[in-house]
Amino acid sequence: MNSGIKTVLFAALAVIGFFVPTLLGGSGAVYAACVLIAIFAVMSYGLDIVVSDLGEVSLAHTVFFAVGAYTTALLSVSAGLGPVLSLAGAILMVLLVAAALGFVTLQLREFVFSLVTYAVAVVAATIAQNWDFLGGSDGLRGIPAFELSWLGFKARNDQELWPVAYLLLLVAIYLVSAFRRSKLGQAAMMVHLNQRLAVTSGVDPQRIRLQVFLVSAPITASAGWLYAYQRAYISADVLETYFLILMLTAVVVMGRRLLLGPLLGVALIQIQEKFFSFGGYVDKIILGSVLILTLAFLPNGLFGVVAPLRNLFIRRATPVGKTIPERS
Amino acid sequence: MNFTQQLVNGIVLGHAYALIAIGWTVLLGVARLVNFGHGQMYMLGAFVTWYGVSRLGLPYFVAIPVAMLVGVAVGYVMQRVMLQLTLKQDLVSIMIVTLGFGYVLHGAAALFFGSTGQILETPFSTKDIYWGDLWFTYQDIAIVIVAILFFAVLKYVIDRTRIGRLARMVAEDPQLAQLAGVNVRRVYLGVFAFEGAAVALAAALVAPRTPILTSMGFDEVIITFVVVVLGGIGSVTGSYVAGLALGLFTAFFGAFVSPAYATAAAFAVLIAVLVVRPGGLAVSPGGR
Repeated sequence: MNSGIKTVLFAALAVIGFFVPTLLGGSGAVYAACVLIAIFAVMSYGLDIVVSDLGEVSLAHTVFFAVGAYTTALLSVSAGLGPVLSLAGAILMVLLVAAALGFVTLQLREFVFSLVTYAVAVVAATIAQNWDFLGGSDGLRGIPAFELSWLGFKARNDQELWPVAYLLLLVAIYLVSAFRRSKLGQAAMMVHLNQRLAVTSGVDPQRIRLQVFLVSAPITASAGWLYAYQRAYISADVLETYFLILMLTAVVVMGRRLLLGPLLGVALIQIQEKFFSFGGYVDKIILGSVLILTLAFLPNGLFGVVAPLRNLFIRRATPVGKTIPERS
Repeated sequence: MNFTQQLVNGIVLGHAYALIAIGWTVLLGVARLVNFGHGQMYMLGAFVTWYGVSRLGLPYFVAIPVAMLVGVAVGYVMQRVMLQLTLKQDLVSIMIVTLGFGYVLHGAAALFFGSTGQILETPFSTKDIYWGDLWFTYQDIAIVIVAILFFAVLKYVIDRTRIGRLARMVAEDPQLAQLAGVNVRRVYLGVFAFEGAAVALAAALVAPRTPILTSMGFDEVIITFVVVVLGGIGSVTGSYVAGLALGLFTAFFGAFVSPAYATAAAFAVLIAVLVVRPGGLAVSPGGR
């Protein structure tokens, strides 16, 4: 497709997207669901570039989400800062955390990397539950409404918060598509698919990984930032496995490296949970099963099922000779 | 809290950790597979044992094999579902799938057993032993004995028997093993069934020490990670030593510093080791 037509199409889609809640009736529940879908989609986009492009499974993205949420809560409750400064603070904080984590895990690959990132998530949960500075098990309450006084903008409910959430979503999608076109994105793909080729082409895999991590973490953290305003309180449950499974499912369910994949994935999951729920435990079983079945039986996601014709023109996903991952 | 008492606690805790980690050790060292649902399988083993003992009125010694059978079934189903991924050695997908299984197990267990905490009481756990001013239970002794026996038998099986050789061969080079006429699928299914049984046995023995919750799988697995990585990935002897060391560390840290942060401290040790010796921890597949 011509890139000019593509841009126009995307712009049209972006404008239509804004009116989706209105088209669906505009009730409070619809706005609440749409805002959450936007927030969780942004959260998932952060993980998307690590899993789909870099090919590593980071299980610490709930920590980035929580860092964004907790920093926002602390800055707005204790220091009385507004949303712009709390966003800056959240991004700064998450860059520090991601750099530290990236540095520690620089040498690790595959499951050891995932294992350590998972451990980070568990430890972060224990710390959030026990540390009084973060409110302990009660969490932090009384986060003020999202207010930009210099614009005369104040979001008292989900309907008024929707423009912010939607804008954040558009920015995240733009960042991901810009990342995929960038040198870094292409280097990440090369490291993912053929590390030896990457090294011989003068690409330093460890540096690329760290850089992708530093691009990815602020995206997820900014979702945490808005989530803090949306919920008005933050507690250790932002570190629950639910968010991790939600992100992972959203990233893989439609098919990897599809720009709108994570958004559609999150939307599907949230619509099921908000409007067709079978109770928390059954919803857990459904979400987990979707994740398992997608990975085990639909390597190209749902999109790979509905668009099999497209596969005729795509080269084989797994190269023929690839067998055993490198032992390190 | 005297020193000797903490030493006893640490030794018991260490054997418990080693026992819980054994399934993962075999999975990793012998078949190069991972299972992020390990913690939830531990939870399931504990709850099946609890259900057998307190709801169905089974004797403890019958409830253990029942829990192990359930573990075998869960392990088998998991591996059956992701067999294609295993044969492709797609570790990234396997990790996510096992994480998904853990989540499903958590939901299913909460649905079936309820989300309230329970206490698993066994004939041993209620009998205390006082020895001087030291205190422990018969359950603690059972954990130590079973862990030592299990590790000894496992080491023998992996090093000396045909089954052990087959499994190591599959880990070393699945394709070559297949060419040599080894039924690779059966080895993978068998290893996962073993993981299920091993973690259920560990749960049946160790879970009586603390109250059990359907949400406990999330943190439970971290100890296993630390044991497996510190012990030299996939090494049986290493896991035993690492488990014991970690148990002692946790006991003393919990007693003298802070029990709430004991897991975090164990993790800090892991990070420190990984920074100092990032590549030196991994051993070749099938390594002992």
